[in-house]
Amino acid sequence: MMKASTIIVAILSAVVGALGMLAVSCGGPAPGGGTTSGVVAGPAVPRTADGKPDFSGIWQALNEAHWDLEAHEARPGMVTQEGVYPYEYARVPAAPVVALGAAGGVPGSVGVVDGDGKIPYKPEALKVKQENGANWIDRDPELKCYLPGIPRAMYMPFPFQIVQGGAKVHMAFPFSSTGRTIHLDEVEGPPDYTYMGHSVGKWDGDTLVTTVTEFNGKNWFDRAGNYHSEQLKLTERFTPIHRDAIQYEVTLEDPNVFERPWKISMPLYRRLEPNAQLMEYRCIEFVEEFLYGGLRKKPLVKRWENETFIIDITRKVPEGEKLYEWYRR
Amino acid sequence: MSRRFLLSSGLAVALVAAAGLLTVTTPRVFGQAPPGEAPAGPAPKTPWGAPDLQGIWTNSHDIPLQRPLKYADKEFFTDEERQALDKQRGAIVSEDTRRYGKGSEQDVGGAYSTNIFLSHKPTGRRTSLIIDPKNGRMPPLTPEAQKRRNEIREYQLALLRATETCKNNRPGCAGGKYGPPSPRRNEAPPHYIATGGAGGGSINRSDGPEDRTLGERCIAATLPDFGGAAGFYPQIIQSKDTISIFYDTGQGQGWQRIIPITNRPHLPSNVRQWWGDSRARWEGDTLIVDVTNFTAKTDFQGSRENLHLVEKFRRKDANTLEYTVTIEDPTTWMQPWTVTQELTKQEDKFNRVYKEPRCHEGNHGMPALLIGARVEEKAFAQRKGPDPATLCSAGCGGFAGGFADEGEEANPFIQ
Repeated sequence: MMKASTIIVAILSAVVGALGMLAVSCGGPAPGGGTTSGVVAGPAVPRTADGKPDFSGIWQALNEAHWDLEAHEARPGMVTQEGVYPYEYARVPAAPVVALGAAGGVPGSVGVVDGDGKIPYKPEALKVKQENGANWIDRDPELKCYLPGIPRAMYMPFPFQIVQGGAKVHMAFPFSSTGRTIHLDEVEGPPDYTYMGHSVGKWDGDTLVTTVTEFNGKNWFDRAGNYHSEQLKLTERFTPIHRDAIQYEVTLEDPNVFERPWKISMPLYRRLEPNAQLMEYRCIEFVEEFLYGGLRKKPLVKRWENETFIIDITRKVPEGEKLYEWYRR
Repeated sequence: MSRRFLLSSGLAVALVAAAGLLTVTTPRVFGQAPPGEAPAGPAPKTPWGAPDLQGIWTNSHDIPLQRPLKYADKEFFTDEERQALDKQRGAIVSEDTRRYGKGSEQDVGGAYSTNIFLSHKPTGRRTSLIIDPKNGRMPPLTPEAQKRRNEIREYQLALLRATETCKNNRPGCAGGKYGPPSPRRNEAPPHYIATGGAGGGSINRSDGPEDRTLGERCIAATLPDFGGAAGFYPQIIQSKDTISIFYDTGQGQGWQRIIPITNRPHLPSNVRQWWGDSRARWEGDTLIVDVTNFTAKTDFQGSRENLHLVEKFRRKDANTLEYTVTIEDPTTWMQPWTVTQELTKQEDKFNRVYKEPRCHEGNHGMPALLIGARVEEKAFAQRKGPDPATLCSAGCGGFAGGFADEGEEANPFIQ
């Protein structure tokens, strides 16, 4: 019997190994995706009765992709404005996040886009992306609690759960209380274009390969304004790289928006807490003030100008809680 | 793009509803699986030996939750009674020319008509979904729950007092009377506004989104859910230690449920959720799910944070999933009560589940309701319109769910 501490070390080293693989795949597109030929290190990957990898469990991406798929430096606020100095690199947090201090910023990232780290937008689409970023609060469907779409739901900062039931591999997402089913059997498509896409899967050795189509073009990829049209076609590859890690790769094609197909890749990690479970995030009610606050008989926000709310930040610091006083207690 | 014409989910729902309606009006041979239902056979097992609950399921019959009083202690309808009820219900819901006086407030409810938006199914064998108590009816409320309900009703009636609904003594005003606008319009409601029915439901005010029903806010999905005229397709997918149920319900109000099969304790009691906290175990061929930790915002027939469910899922055969739930809340009912329902498996190929709870994404109704209320207030302030307190936008009666609120066109199940 291994001691508990030895087991933890084994898991850690295997996960570090997985991270190493990510670094390899980020360094440049490896032939054949760079992961299918990888030798699985560490404890054995769970398998179903028919010998396929069993992805059932609670997983989560641990990266900054939900902020921006592309490489980016840290930003002082989720929303920024021109500061005292008129330089683009000297922007300061804007009103909606000032009161959040350092918790209102955006962490930097090396990004998850393979190759040169850039999304190959067509010139006119790049303009739309940039406008999206500049109008993030008004345009990002996430802020309105709209269905997150794929692949975005896969790397939002929430755990998600895979329930692998033979002919169906189901994924449950807390955000907006939704799910997606990957059909390994033959089914009819949806009656209308969708937010979450229509996923059809097949096994390629130990890799679950899915094709996702039938998008309605209303979703974004992240909080940076990266977007797609209804022509989006995804090819996802889920490959076990450890008992507790899946390499997740997506090839994205959308001739309306991109010059050529491009790829993102990242590991998904198993949530190892013995009591891990998905919790509700029924955000529709959370965004009612954001969406309809201006239509109240007695608005909660001080002043609305049509759909613009003016927040007067008059935060009074209570006695004893002022800067530095707090330390002296 | 052949599918582009289906731009609104409303249209898609309309087509589903139309297909559903056919089952009411088309004579059907009992025992013969209608198109879309899966073939018969023994109950299957998963490769790891557990009962296999997987598939897309639906209720193939309409059965009232509570037994209509006129059937007293009669547990099952005869085939003749079912046919007569189908004829009577079909005649009401398929009539598309019914109007409650054009331009009346009651006429508005009929706009959400069965012919376009809803579907009704053939009458089932049981006279009620409730099998315990034996009379097929919910047990009496506790004095505490009755007090809650009365407080909500008094508040509802205060807000209806100056409307035509009360002036004309319509069923929506039952228990109240016509009078001048109530100052209670400026008070918060005595309890959180939740779904309709015994819990309270709509109030005649649109000061903000919270005044409207959970349905209008696109958060109506509740547990337990026995389906209804707005569609019901739960899809079950299972692994060794987890059951996933995606409830395609209430026209775009669907939701994802995860049921862990575990002996772990429930969440700490201070953690509350709309759909509670589920823990399951197998007992023979039956999956038993214990659900607690509901939030006070939830409302199942008047029960809120103390709701406790013990659900049982059992696959009787290839085609049939038996769902039985015992509902308990000592602060709401004098005794626990039990409901049972048989769900029919749908062909997997047709994939009749819509994993797109997109009511919220297309909720133009909510801003329209609020803007309308602000416009009415402004018009009144400028002496160009009536006092908003005299207008009715909720609880006004009329056709709801395809049936009238009184008379010969009321739902025969609750007449």
